[in-house]
Amino acid sequence: MMKLRDTFAYMVSRWTDELVITSAGHSSGAWWELTQDRDRVFYLTASMSLSSMFASGIAFGHPDKRVWAFSGDGAFVMNPGMLFVERRMNLPNLTHFLVSNRCYGSTEEVDIPFTEHADYAALARAAGIERVYDFSDLDDFKARFDEAVLTPGHTFIVLNVEKAGKDVRTATMDGPEVKFRFGRHVEAVSGQKIFNVLP
Amino acid sequence: MSSARRDVSNRIADALAECGISLVASLPDDWVADLIKVVEADDRFTHVPVNREESAVGLCSGAFFSDSYAAAVMGASGMLTCVYAVTKINYTYEIPMFFLVSMRGAIGDTAKYQIANGIYFLDVLDTIDLPYRLIESRDQLGEIPRVHRHSRVYNRPTAVILSREVLQGEA
Repeated sequence: MMKLRDTFAYMVSRWTDELVITSAGHSSGAWWELTQDRDRVFYLTASMSLSSMFASGIAFGHPDKRVWAFSGDGAFVMNPGMLFVERRMNLPNLTHFLVSNRCYGSTEEVDIPFTEHADYAALARAAGIERVYDFSDLDDFKARFDEAVLTPGHTFIVLNVEKAGKDVRTATMDGPEVKFRFGRHVEAVSGQKIFNVLP
Repeated sequence: MSSARRDVSNRIADALAECGISLVASLPDDWVADLIKVVEADDRFTHVPVNREESAVGLCSGAFFSDSYAAAVMGASGMLTCVYAVTKINYTYEIPMFFLVSMRGAIGDTAKYQIANGIYFLDVLDTIDLPYRLIESRDQLGEIPRVHRHSRVYNRPTAVILSREVLQGEA
């Protein structure tokens, strides 16, 4: 089992130009704690399972940008059907990281009662997703990072991590600030106009 | 399939294209099923059938961060399930999106299991301050671009609600 902070610290060290969408719970808090980034990250807190769909919309609109979507297993078990939609869209620039700590990270790490028999990677394969990885060892994750994360193709990656054991607070921004800072960054790197245009 | 129904579906698709919409997410209600078929076959759109209506909210909200426009097509029951996603994503972050929804449960709907929509659906939209236009004749389909445009002004979702008579090509 990996430590969340160590796993994310390694990912941050390999992070270049990917657009990052975090979910409720520890992915938002840990990414914020490590990066303090207010521009390249959309902190999608409290969406209850929609982070990968949100990221899919971004990836669809920016086929030349890589998008990393994080979800927790608390959100994932609410809506595993997202995998079927992801598979149908099959966006080669989308990587969905499922941070599996077997608890509801944003609610005092209360245990998720379904995880003992759950195999998220098997679920993804059953949904037809071809590039599926399941990491529990950080050295293994590091060794296969280029293959798993940097190779083009829609990818689903399970990161099995320990409970954080503490409250991990997310970015101190209100929703519109998250929207505008992230959106302005996307405008700058893509050349696409998002704001101040009307159909 | 009546030609009148198909004509309405085609006119709605033309209105969506006029809006610049290129991504359409849907989950079928039988009244919008023909529209979904038309969208699926139309090269002007990328059609994404979703597993549940909230996924359409996530997808269309993410698509906001590009220069393409998106729409979500569903029934009233489906949109009722989106209240959490709309209020948490679109209201918290002030992200526009556009819904096309069938007005199930209204007078003329013979499905008893849709009655709750007729009682509560529009009241729920009013309660969450989600602007909408109820379209009850094809002469009103020109409202679609205006309602879509308003979502961009309002920075939150708007909806076009389509009556059975319109979607069946009867009005």
